[in-house]
Amino acid sequence: MRILAFLLCVTAAYAQTGAPAGNDWGSYGGTQYSWRYSALDQINTQNVKGLAPAWIFQTGDYAESLHSTPIVQNGVMYVITARLQVFALDAATGKALWHYRYGEPQAGLAGTHADFVQNRGVALGDGKVFFGTKDNFVVALDQKTGRQVWKVSMDDPKQCGCNITAAPLVVKDKVIIGGNGGDQAHRGYLTALNTSTGRLSWRWYVIPTPGEAGSETWKGDSWRFGGGSPWLTGSYDPQLNLVYWGTGNAAADFYDGDRVAAGANKGGPLNLYTASVVALDADTGKLKWHFQEVPDDLWDFDSSYEVLLMDREVRGRIRQILVHMNKSGLTFVLDRVTGEFLGSFNVPEVSNWISGVTEDGKLVGRNEPVVGKTGEFCPSAAGGKSWNSTAYSPRTGFLYVPVLELCADITPRNTGPTEGRNYMNGDFPIKLAAGRTTYSHVDAWDPVTGKRMWTMPYRLVLLSSMLATGGDLVFTGDPEGNFFALNARTGEKLWNFQTGAGHRGAAISYAVNGRQFVAATTGWQQTVVGGAAIGLFPNEEFRLGSTLVVFALPEGTR
Amino acid sequence: MRAAWLVVLLAAGAWAQNIEDVVKRGEQLFVTTCGSGYCHGGRGVGGGAPRLAARGFNQGFINTTVTQGIAGTGMTAFGGKLPGADVAAIVAYVARLNGVQNIAVTGGRGGAPAPAKLSAEAARGRGLFTDPVRAFGRCSTCHEAGGFGISVAAPIHDVPANAAALRALATPRVVTATIGGQAMAALVVASKSTSVTLYDLTVAPPVMRSEEPGAAQTREGSSWRHSNFIGAYNDAELGAVLAYLRAVVGQ
Repeated sequence: MRILAFLLCVTAAYAQTGAPAGNDWGSYGGTQYSWRYSALDQINTQNVKGLAPAWIFQTGDYAESLHSTPIVQNGVMYVITARLQVFALDAATGKALWHYRYGEPQAGLAGTHADFVQNRGVALGDGKVFFGTKDNFVVALDQKTGRQVWKVSMDDPKQCGCNITAAPLVVKDKVIIGGNGGDQAHRGYLTALNTSTGRLSWRWYVIPTPGEAGSETWKGDSWRFGGGSPWLTGSYDPQLNLVYWGTGNAAADFYDGDRVAAGANKGGPLNLYTASVVALDADTGKLKWHFQEVPDDLWDFDSSYEVLLMDREVRGRIRQILVHMNKSGLTFVLDRVTGEFLGSFNVPEVSNWISGVTEDGKLVGRNEPVVGKTGEFCPSAAGGKSWNSTAYSPRTGFLYVPVLELCADITPRNTGPTEGRNYMNGDFPIKLAAGRTTYSHVDAWDPVTGKRMWTMPYRLVLLSSMLATGGDLVFTGDPEGNFFALNARTGEKLWNFQTGAGHRGAAISYAVNGRQFVAATTGWQQTVVGGAAIGLFPNEEFRLGSTLVVFALPEGTR
Repeated sequence: MRAAWLVVLLAAGAWAQNIEDVVKRGEQLFVTTCGSGYCHGGRGVGGGAPRLAARGFNQGFINTTVTQGIAGTGMTAFGGKLPGADVAAIVAYVARLNGVQNIAVTGGRGGAPAPAKLSAEAARGRGLFTDPVRAFGRCSTCHEAGGFGISVAAPIHDVPANAAALRALATPRVVTATIGGQAMAALVVASKSTSVTLYDLTVAPPVMRSEEPGAAQTREGSSWRHSNFIGAYNDAELGAVLAYLRAVVGQ
């Protein structure tokens, strides 16, 4: 009983206004704190066995499947397909309210990563629905009708080798979005536009120009094409008025001869502000602080992943922290007011790129790819986790992670940059980690102690985002089509449903008229990491599709 | 007769040499495009996209797939995007990866035109026209020319004679639009019974707005000046940009 009372005290300390999602799922990460946690508890560990489909919506846009995170506000769901069709649906019934088609994007530079057909979600604000496009436009639709209100170009797809696949983040009167392109000869940025007019509010370049602070960490002209693109969605703390974002890898990915001076101290900083977490003033885009996780990134371990904001007791004091995993699976805990390093833990079981991290957050024992040689590095460029998000429950205090156990044989090259063209400078065929029978697991980690609390192994690869709920459940899906619920405290599998197509998107939870729903996007990805997975398991069939499958407890059983 | 055979043999030798050059060129192109590790990987070993080496593909299949792509996937149609000779070279290289014995130089049907050969000055001008360091202050934020840029303004037909003429450029099509009580410099691109589409030119980049008829009132004239937006370029730079425009406009 005393233990229970203690737990309740701790739980109260975790409480943070605005961080959990409630009836709405208003943002890519649930809320601007990016927990992917819904406080709804109607569906819980006791009754989840009765969970059943409530409605199904087929987008009809099957090529490249459905990878986005749906958004729900006031009983209406907004969802975007990989080929930029946006639907507004009655979130209780699945009835389509409007349907918008972007049309065929302008052709980009052929043979770059900008060819990938992908979109990870829309954002809402100011009565509009916002999204980015394959040809680098940001588009605003009228939320009620789906009519296009404004559209503005962020970059020239015929030149930059870049595109936009991330969901935007709306902060007050601004819509903020980054882009892809860090594997091309390109210089990444974040852009903020006025939600009402679409006019430019600010642009922050990841890489400073000569003369600006941080530019001394770049060799010669390499800053021009040094990558760093922040290609996913950030977070926002309204009290501090700071926007947090993870930045991408330095380019070239696997060769640093162009961008790092010979004999440079690898302790960093190097190639600022790539592979970093940055805090920007939301109003001006000015850099408040930065923490570089991978100085001189040589493994494509970019740090673009989600940033979770939470208040937790660290060494006897409640602190405003952020938790951030980069592609290597190394996860950092920072003070989000100052950027001070508070701790780190390594999530994947197979890892050989460093031997450890010092008490002040510096990498040690770097195992670097060498030009002219092929070496095995773990994790692979697919990541110790791919771009699909973690989730965090304030009830358990655990971070839920879909972990990958993959390696790559990296052979670096040293070809110079051509603007917009592939500038990875290396081959990196992804392979299964040796000596294992399972290549993925769902983990629960306590981010403050850095301890793994439980793990649930899976024989293939998990590439769908996690959802945590107030019913102490964790939901995600697998490439075989299973959508399942785990006990958030133990990892025990409590429920499973075969949805018919692989999961490479996200699950969300929301409520309409007092009824809790759990929605999952389905359909495997056939390029990039999803495509690599198809090659890793040639005897499996990961089905494509583009269907929303939405669950609830049957009426009368709640 | 013997002489005739000699001619054939010499021709065949030249042809074989040509094929090797084409395959080599294809390999170079492959590395920086198809060969990314998130796509087909170096030497087509596979990555995020399928392995291409030793799949038993014949050249016809390779040519069709490279030229036409696979709809809706990352495999785009290269036929309209790369010059025909480049498509042919990539096809020849992938044919080699598949052990095709009699590789033919095919492909290129519907190929994009080869990029214009530019003088040093014009090439410098292209770099300035598209300069990413100038962010939204570059010409290509509003103009498309020579295959680069965002076509906000109408296509350039008449290239000003010099930097002074460019600075003095009048823009009679720029009007003043009033939307929701707010006046702005605007370029109207479509006016239909169902909607009015215009670019708000207040700040770069221009914002394309779609308004319901009646929501936007326009009147001729505006305080907007092209010279204000090109102020970051000096005369020498503008001269190079004009050299680029002269090289590509009308092509």
